[in-house]
Amino acid sequence: MNRPVQKRFTITTLIILMLGGGIFLGFSLKKTLHFPVGGMASSENFDGAKAFKTTNPAKIQELKIYDSWKHYTTKEGLPSNKINTVRVDGNRVWIGTDKGLALMENGKIINVLKEEDGLAHHNVVTIDVSPMTGDVWIGTMSGLNRYSAGKFETFNQFNSGVPNDVIYQVYCIDKYVWLATGGGAGCYDTYSQQWKIFTEMNAPMHEPWTYGISGGDGKVWIAAWGGGIIEYELETAQMRDYIDPDGEMEIDLFPDDGLVHDITTGSSYENGILWVGTYFGMSRYDGTRWKGYFDHDSGLASNFINFTKAQGTAVWLCTDNGLSNFNGQTWVTYRPVEESTKGEVIITEGDKKRTLTTSTSMSNNYLWGMDYDEEYIWLATAKGLSRGEASGKLMAKATQ
Amino acid sequence: MNKLGRRILFLGIPLITVGIIFYSGHQWGVRHAKYITGGTPHPSNCISCHFYLDQDAQVAQMLDRAYVSPFKMLVSPDGKSLFVTAHESNEFVIVDLESGKVKTKIPVGKWPHSISVSRDGKTAYVSNHWSQSVSVIDIDSEKVIDTIEVGNGPSDLILDENNEFLYVNNSFAGNLSIININEGKEFRRIPTGNYPMGIAISPDGGKVFVTHRRAKPEGFRKSPITELVVVDTRYKRVTERKEIHSAHIMENIDLTPSGDLALFTLIRPKNLVPSTQIERGFMITEGIGIIETHAGGKVAQLLLDEPNRYFADPYDIVVAPDGEKAYVSHAGVDYVSVLDINEIRKILAENNQDELNRIANHLGMSSKFVIKRIQTGPNPKGLTISPDGQYVYIAERFADEVSVLDTRSMKIERHIDLEGPRTITQVRQGGRLFYNAGRTFQNQYSCSTCHPDGAEDGLTYDLTGTGRNLENTITLRELSNTSPFKWNGKNVSVYMQCGMRFSRFVTRTESFTPDELNALVAFIFQKLENPPNPFQLPNYELTEVQKRGKAIFERTKTNDGREIPEKDRCITCHPPPYFTDRSSANVGSGFETDTEEIFDTPKLNNIVDTAPYLHDGRAKTLEEIWTIYGGEDFHGYVNDMMKMELNDLIEYLRSIGPAHTYKFEESSIKEASNE
Repeated sequence: MNRPVQKRFTITTLIILMLGGGIFLGFSLKKTLHFPVGGMASSENFDGAKAFKTTNPAKIQELKIYDSWKHYTTKEGLPSNKINTVRVDGNRVWIGTDKGLALMENGKIINVLKEEDGLAHHNVVTIDVSPMTGDVWIGTMSGLNRYSAGKFETFNQFNSGVPNDVIYQVYCIDKYVWLATGGGAGCYDTYSQQWKIFTEMNAPMHEPWTYGISGGDGKVWIAAWGGGIIEYELETAQMRDYIDPDGEMEIDLFPDDGLVHDITTGSSYENGILWVGTYFGMSRYDGTRWKGYFDHDSGLASNFINFTKAQGTAVWLCTDNGLSNFNGQTWVTYRPVEESTKGEVIITEGDKKRTLTTSTSMSNNYLWGMDYDEEYIWLATAKGLSRGEASGKLMAKATQ
Repeated sequence: MNKLGRRILFLGIPLITVGIIFYSGHQWGVRHAKYITGGTPHPSNCISCHFYLDQDAQVAQMLDRAYVSPFKMLVSPDGKSLFVTAHESNEFVIVDLESGKVKTKIPVGKWPHSISVSRDGKTAYVSNHWSQSVSVIDIDSEKVIDTIEVGNGPSDLILDENNEFLYVNNSFAGNLSIININEGKEFRRIPTGNYPMGIAISPDGGKVFVTHRRAKPEGFRKSPITELVVVDTRYKRVTERKEIHSAHIMENIDLTPSGDLALFTLIRPKNLVPSTQIERGFMITEGIGIIETHAGGKVAQLLLDEPNRYFADPYDIVVAPDGEKAYVSHAGVDYVSVLDINEIRKILAENNQDELNRIANHLGMSSKFVIKRIQTGPNPKGLTISPDGQYVYIAERFADEVSVLDTRSMKIERHIDLEGPRTITQVRQGGRLFYNAGRTFQNQYSCSTCHPDGAEDGLTYDLTGTGRNLENTITLRELSNTSPFKWNGKNVSVYMQCGMRFSRFVTRTESFTPDELNALVAFIFQKLENPPNPFQLPNYELTEVQKRGKAIFERTKTNDGREIPEKDRCITCHPPPYFTDRSSANVGSGFETDTEEIFDTPKLNNIVDTAPYLHDGRAKTLEEIWTIYGGEDFHGYVNDMMKMELNDLIEYLRSIGPAHTYKFEESSIKEASNE
């Protein structure tokens, strides 16, 4: 082949490749910037989704990108910058810190409650609001409080059937208040004032430590240290456990064979999907199959998951290195850029990853908890409370 | 010996022998009666104690009568009928007000308590205090058409504006059942406070107000604080908890027609001062609470008493339709007080909150707003007012009558006979005495003031007046067969407890006469029963948790295999049916304020309802008996137990019901073993 022919062939090939690449890139961009990706034939294009198909792809949650952040610290009236938990209750936001409980209304801290007000302990770890009574249940490092119409009532292991005073999570379902504590899980029947305790003595657990409680559709799931997830059926009081079948503590030997690890830190259930956070990755269970996710093979911010919260068919995961939001196909992970006020948003779909930059970010990458309402997400971080808002600008910029 | 001599000898020896036996027997009987009654001369004979007073005595049951005992009432919306709950005959009574005669009596559940009626007057709802239910009654057909299950101890109840939801206080459970009327079942149950009693709804239907009988468990030797809870009817949630300081027994509540004021009855006990100081001033005062219902409104307490004249046990309160007057029944002194609401408004307007707090103890205030005292029959309880405001109806519980007060003349115009027995039995007379303050200095309180419905008020008193040996009020229910009495176990009988010693130290007035004492003791032993315990399963079965708890209660070995000495086993000191061995023991509960460390072993029947616990009420919950005050296994062996096991034990204790259920159990066991 002479040189001009060779040159023409090379140029033509390059043009074809560029056109092809452009078309491919365009498709990729479209996919990346238009979650929901529910319509994608799509799931085949993602590593994870190949192995796990949601039972109803139409339920795939649209993920927003939260790109505008506001911070609340002691300057705004919080009792401490170490925020352990946050709970949205209508137009009120309850904030649990290591130095008391704060109540925010319309963006302003209107009340700070401490031990002298009746709070069981200054270190507030978990908060839930009873959908039935509107009472706020507060778990602390030394007892449980019911806060009803401005008045505290304390339940602890000395004056009640609370399993243990170190309360990691409180969860209200129907007339019951469930607790995950350092001495087992507890269930309080608010009608009869009766307590039940679940430990390794009467439940399939290895240790009495329990870290998380969630429920739905007549069931409660207890995240037990070293015991995986205990499923409790409210009507029949039947229990069963879900554990890591391979039993390996260091690695997940057989992918998707069950829970990724037995040391579970929390769970959350919505729309028929159970999400389980561990210190070694995250598991998703649709009632039929388990699927595991790790920071090295997905968009998960970190395997060290402190808090798990479902939203529709998606999940929020608070880790020691940022926040992840996952809808079964797409990951959106948030974390601050070091030594900067900026943040980064990492969008991951299968092996495709994009990083966007935001001018503001969450206060800190170490997250203890979160909650959401229609407008905002609220993050409990090690250095203040952060409120994220999806302005839509980043999405628009990304789609340009 | 001649014939006469032989006859004299023949008759004389037996006569002398009989005389000696009789004399000795009589002397022994006198000593026995003296011992039982605490050394006071008491002309009681053997029969009074050994026939009438035993709860199970056939004679006592034969002598008993089926009284009606009207409790709460409501006038129908058209003003033509009066609805009455008859708590002893367990009936719902409809009275035709034109004829003043009973039209019908409809059997309902145990201890029918309160009534609410639909706006059209066609349906009545009756809370059955001891049946955990509400009876739905069709007024036209005069039949119970439905029974709705609610929480434990339903008392006062009220329908909302649109007859959509019925709000029912569950007194024993401390919560509020909200019934969906269309569905005929409970929609939701929300916690209120300690022993909710009175209920009222605002005229706009937006808020339900709930008062409570018992104070919040605030801790040892604290002045009582009792809650008035506000429920938002739209969201069905508690939105406000107003604390009423130094008061309790807030039995009933009503609102003014405009809804600006809520008025409720209350008692202000001075349980922190020595009871022996009663003659030096007030110990227990009675009054009303008032709240301005608008946001930030004032809270006031005004005494209904006068200097040197007290009006014990205010029970019900109704506000006239024109909002000018309110009427309060004083069950302990057989009076109704008429209050001028405009004068009350003036007091509220003229005083700021601090000043109102100060005048809460002012015995002279009643002269400003109490415009009339009207004497009634024995134990006036429920009040209701005709729609036109012309008549106030007063339920005279121990007369089986309703008296009709004409609000224009302010005089009792007539009495409606509820057709109860005419005979007043000894027990009935005892009931009148129990609920009457006539035997206390200046009528400050009756037995029922501290023992409402025969139970307890949940407070600790300084009865000796020395600041020592403080005493937690105990229930008087099922008292028979549980002597000795008092926490120190020094009173061998109720005669001793309620006799001269009592008057000397507590009431500071003349003591009951022997006949009165007989009647009072007969009433206490026979009529003060425990309500059914909802945690006790039907047929006296146990849940798995209760079974485990019972095993712990009866265990002989610790978890690590050590033998528990017999004296330290729960069952040793607390055997059924009363769960007391009627002896005293040192369980390590003595405190520096106690002279002695040995206390009478209390019975455990319905212990779930009798918080606080221990002799001085130091333990707010059953758990605290062991977790805080158990010490080094002084009070049974518990320190080897896990929390879960303690919970099992507590659940078993919570399930311990009335004593008669265990008598049944015992006889069943005997029958079974015979077979």
